Amino acid sequence: MNSTVNNEPNRRDFVQLVSGWCATLFALAASGAAAARFMMPNVLYEADRRYRALKPDDYPEGATFLPDARLFVLRKGNSFRAVSAVCTHLGCTVLHNNDGNGFHCPCHGSQFNENAAVTGGPAPKPLPWYLMTLTRDGRLMIDASQEVKPDKYLVV
Amino acid sequence: MLLQLWKQFRDSRVGRSVFRVGVPASNLERAQAAVSSFLLHFQPAKVNRRTLQFSATLGLGLISLYLFIILTVTGVLLMFYYVPSTNQAYQDMKDLEFVVTAGLVLRNMHRWAAHLMVISVLLHLCRVFYTAAYKAPREFNWLVGVCLLLLTLGLSFTGYLLPWDQLAFWAITVGTSIAAYAPVVGEKLKFLLLGGNVVGQSALLRFYVLHVVVLPLAALFLMAVHLWRVRKDGGLAQPGEAEPAQTVVGLAELPQNKTYGLMELARGTTPAVGVQPEEEVFTWPNLVFREMLLFLGVTALVLVLAIFWNAPLEELANPVHPPNPAKAPWYFLGLQELVAHSAFWGGVVVPALIVVALVMLPYLDRKRVGIGVWFARERKLAVTIFTVCLVAATVLTLVGSAFRGPNWALQVPWKPLAIEER
Amino acid sequence: MDSSLRKLLPWFTVMGLLVGALIVAAFYKDQFREWKIWQRVHIKQELARAVSDAQREAALRIPVEIRQIVLPDLRRVDRCITCHLTVEDPSYAGFKQPLAYHPDHAQHPIEKFGCTICHQGQGRATTREAAHGHVEHWEQPMLAMQYIESACAKCHLPSDVPNAPKLARGRVLFDDLGCIGCHKLQGVGGVIGPELDGVGARHGAEWLGKHFRNPAAITSGSAMPPIKVGEQDIEALTLYMLSFTGERLSDYYVSMKTIPGADAGRRLFTEKGCMACHSLAGVGGKIGPALDEVAKRRDTKWIIEHFRNPQAVNPGSIMPRFDLTEQEMRALTEFLLTKTDPNIVGFLRIPALMTPIQRGQAVFKKYGCAGCHGAGGMGGVPNPNAKTAQQVPSLKFVADSYTKDELKKRVLNGQREIPSLNPKGPPPPLYMPPWRGRIAEGELGDLVVYLMSLMPKEEKVTF
Repeated sequence: MNSTVNNEPNRRDFVQLVSGWCATLFALAASGAAAARFMMPNVLYEADRRYRALKPDDYPEGATFLPDARLFVLRKGNSFRAVSAVCTHLGCTVLHNNDGNGFHCPCHGSQFNENAAVTGGPAPKPLPWYLMTLTRDGRLMIDASQEVKPDKYLVV
Repeated sequence: MLLQLWKQFRDSRVGRSVFRVGVPASNLERAQAAVSSFLLHFQPAKVNRRTLQFSATLGLGLISLYLFIILTVTGVLLMFYYVPSTNQAYQDMKDLEFVVTAGLVLRNMHRWAAHLMVISVLLHLCRVFYTAAYKAPREFNWLVGVCLLLLTLGLSFTGYLLPWDQLAFWAITVGTSIAAYAPVVGEKLKFLLLGGNVVGQSALLRFYVLHVVVLPLAALFLMAVHLWRVRKDGGLAQPGEAEPAQTVVGLAELPQNKTYGLMELARGTTPAVGVQPEEEVFTWPNLVFREMLLFLGVTALVLVLAIFWNAPLEELANPVHPPNPAKAPWYFLGLQELVAHSAFWGGVVVPALIVVALVMLPYLDRKRVGIGVWFARERKLAVTIFTVCLVAATVLTLVGSAFRGPNWALQVPWKPLAIEER
Repeated sequence: MDSSLRKLLPWFTVMGLLVGALIVAAFYKDQFREWKIWQRVHIKQELARAVSDAQREAALRIPVEIRQIVLPDLRRVDRCITCHLTVEDPSYAGFKQPLAYHPDHAQHPIEKFGCTICHQGQGRATTREAAHGHVEHWEQPMLAMQYIESACAKCHLPSDVPNAPKLARGRVLFDDLGCIGCHKLQGVGGVIGPELDGVGARHGAEWLGKHFRNPAAITSGSAMPPIKVGEQDIEALTLYMLSFTGERLSDYYVSMKTIPGADAGRRLFTEKGCMACHSLAGVGGKIGPALDEVAKRRDTKWIIEHFRNPQAVNPGSIMPRFDLTEQEMRALTEFLLTKTDPNIVGFLRIPALMTPIQRGQAVFKKYGCAGCHGAGGMGGVPNPNAKTAQQVPSLKFVADSYTKDELKKRVLNGQREIPSLNPKGPPPPLYMPPWRGRIAEGELGDLVVYLMSLMPKEEKVTF
């Protein structure tokens, strides 16, 4: 047996090597994907994006801040709507203006009117309005994953 | 197509900056591959054909290394969800099981790989003993290996506490209490280790820091030394090996009026010394390929264990209600069994004797016989003594783990005694 | 390429694929979770009953995800609502579990209480078996509905909870049977038996029931005499024990310890010593006005304001401001406005108005003497190998063998060594603990008077 000739990889060896590397890369990719999925949390220890608030009558006229969910519930008679209290500039919590109209951000001075549109300061976008519905046991449900137009009210 | 792209990448500036040599085509390049790649340079360019034989080493050292790698990867991932607090740790175990994707399987992998590593390191020690691979010039590497064994036990022991369940809490309580039997320093050592008199929040934090930072770094460093010494000491111990040459030339022997290249100063033993060329094969691909297969095999084994068997998790740790019997981790159960008979022997004499004997071994047993040979006839006495100790330790551990029931009464594992309440 | 290496080549692919397949298998196994089934069933149900497009869209928007109630103050995370999705949706009333409606949330809103504080089980679990807690290594499986009232006592006084008759009965039995004579509860009680704090977390209903019927059969060497009461009372007692979970709840939850109702009000009326100044049915002090017809003169608001600050609503009133909680004020008010029972005073049991014998009887009960000496001190409790007929002696005839002072000494010093019937046998398990330092001087006097009164009159005559 001539060892020098035999020692060079032949075509068959090459195919097996390539398939072996493919299988190993597949295993590596699978574990990478699994690890990445592992890193995505399935439960959060923060306020629910679908936030169950109180019953409509528990909120006074005007704006009420819900600290857990970082949003405002606004009531005008029988009409309700909810707006995010997270400034679109850099994520500070905005305050409701003392005159009862609009919001301002204490960090960098962004101004928002009563429809949460930007009227001043560095904020690039209006504050988002969230979908508000009534649960079957008569409580307000605010879904922060569903944005709506500012003129959309929940009428109770 | 893909191959073409790959080749193009390899030939590009970026590709060449990453890979110092291409896929080796010639023998020269094969030698270069081993020498110039960071991951492969722990190995010589060529190894003895015997190194490739599975029966020579059973791959136990590599298996231990691979388990360490698996443990590091799974351990780092688990750290993302684990808080070392007595209020939170147990809840995090539950979350891993119930709400984290693949959390349970990762925890299982980590647990089973840890147990496997303790076993493989112990078996590796047995292999090195039975093939007399600790004799000159490998005495020091045996010492490094003993340290690595202790580190492995330390890693497993500190990790044992982290789930903060009854099993963890009482295993550590019992284990540290065995340590407290050591004379003079025992109590202080326990106090220092636990950061208090009982297993509590500070013990959990200490064990956590030891488990994820101190001990792994120490183990990593010693492993590097261990592997490097394997190479510098002439690779795998071979039958008929020559007497080790002095590895570094004394400076006094050299004329002082000229400068020297490294090759002139370091005269290391290489596997080539005294061996015929046909006994040698290139590390790349012969050894590297086998090593990779072994890695895949070890990973597969750990995965199978992790898929089919869940790591234990008992009730939340409760200092008021110890389980009956409360047991140390399995590798300390031989000692616990001894402590049950005599605290002095089990807690002081035997562990001290084991460590001292392991440390002294290569310096006591210096006769150059049986190197690289399993159970060499010339080493009948040494082999017999070691085997008797090994069997005794195994029996004690087995009795402690399977044959001891409530109140440390003897029982048979398939017919456990009932716990009598008081 | 060596020939031996060539032989190994195919294994490269095999092992690579094996590892890859195992990872995929592990991941797939992990992806299968039974809660997903119920969430899909729920969405299907919502789709089926949707009548408008908007409702259909809303149903499709329901995410399939783990839901949880995080309750830091209760040290709990309850994920029950991951399968029990409709506990707050009244339109699911009458549906089968897990999609059923839980009525009566008004007092205990789910986001503040979660589920497991009452029902127990494993809140963090997301599989049926583990969540309901009937698995190894979980100490508190779901409470059977027959014992659910025990959960009320985690926050409320057992006697105050409306619609919890078993719990109230258990509390009464606990007193009457004298459990406290041997067992400590929250630091108060005897030393012969183990402490009862946390007993409800350590043992299940079945264990407790069996243990009451025959303690020694469950715990070998137990000194506790079998509890000889009916099945229903065993259940009530078991239920009361189950409430001792040893949990410490935060202020928010225990602030409702007193449920404001007439029962609590009646209890407070005596405890706070109202009768020192006020009278009911002619009994009590004359400093303040009689309270018999207060309902005709005042309303709820006035009375509560008066409790809060007497002088603010009634200038010149000399009634001091009592340190009452909001619930206590409401409870007292409720009691004052609704007391209709003509024998009201009989229920009040005010120490100052009781005879020494009555007071002594209360002391006998308070310290759990009945636990060993039997109801009313009539004996009959077994104490194996005791010289006294293998029983704890009856107290019926103490007046015969002791003077008052001797009896006082006996109670204060106790008797650790009980003479054995058979000197070789095990010592009798029950003994008389010393009560020195635990019983007040006045209580001891009353107790002795009561014990002396146990002697039947006619037998005294024959003496």
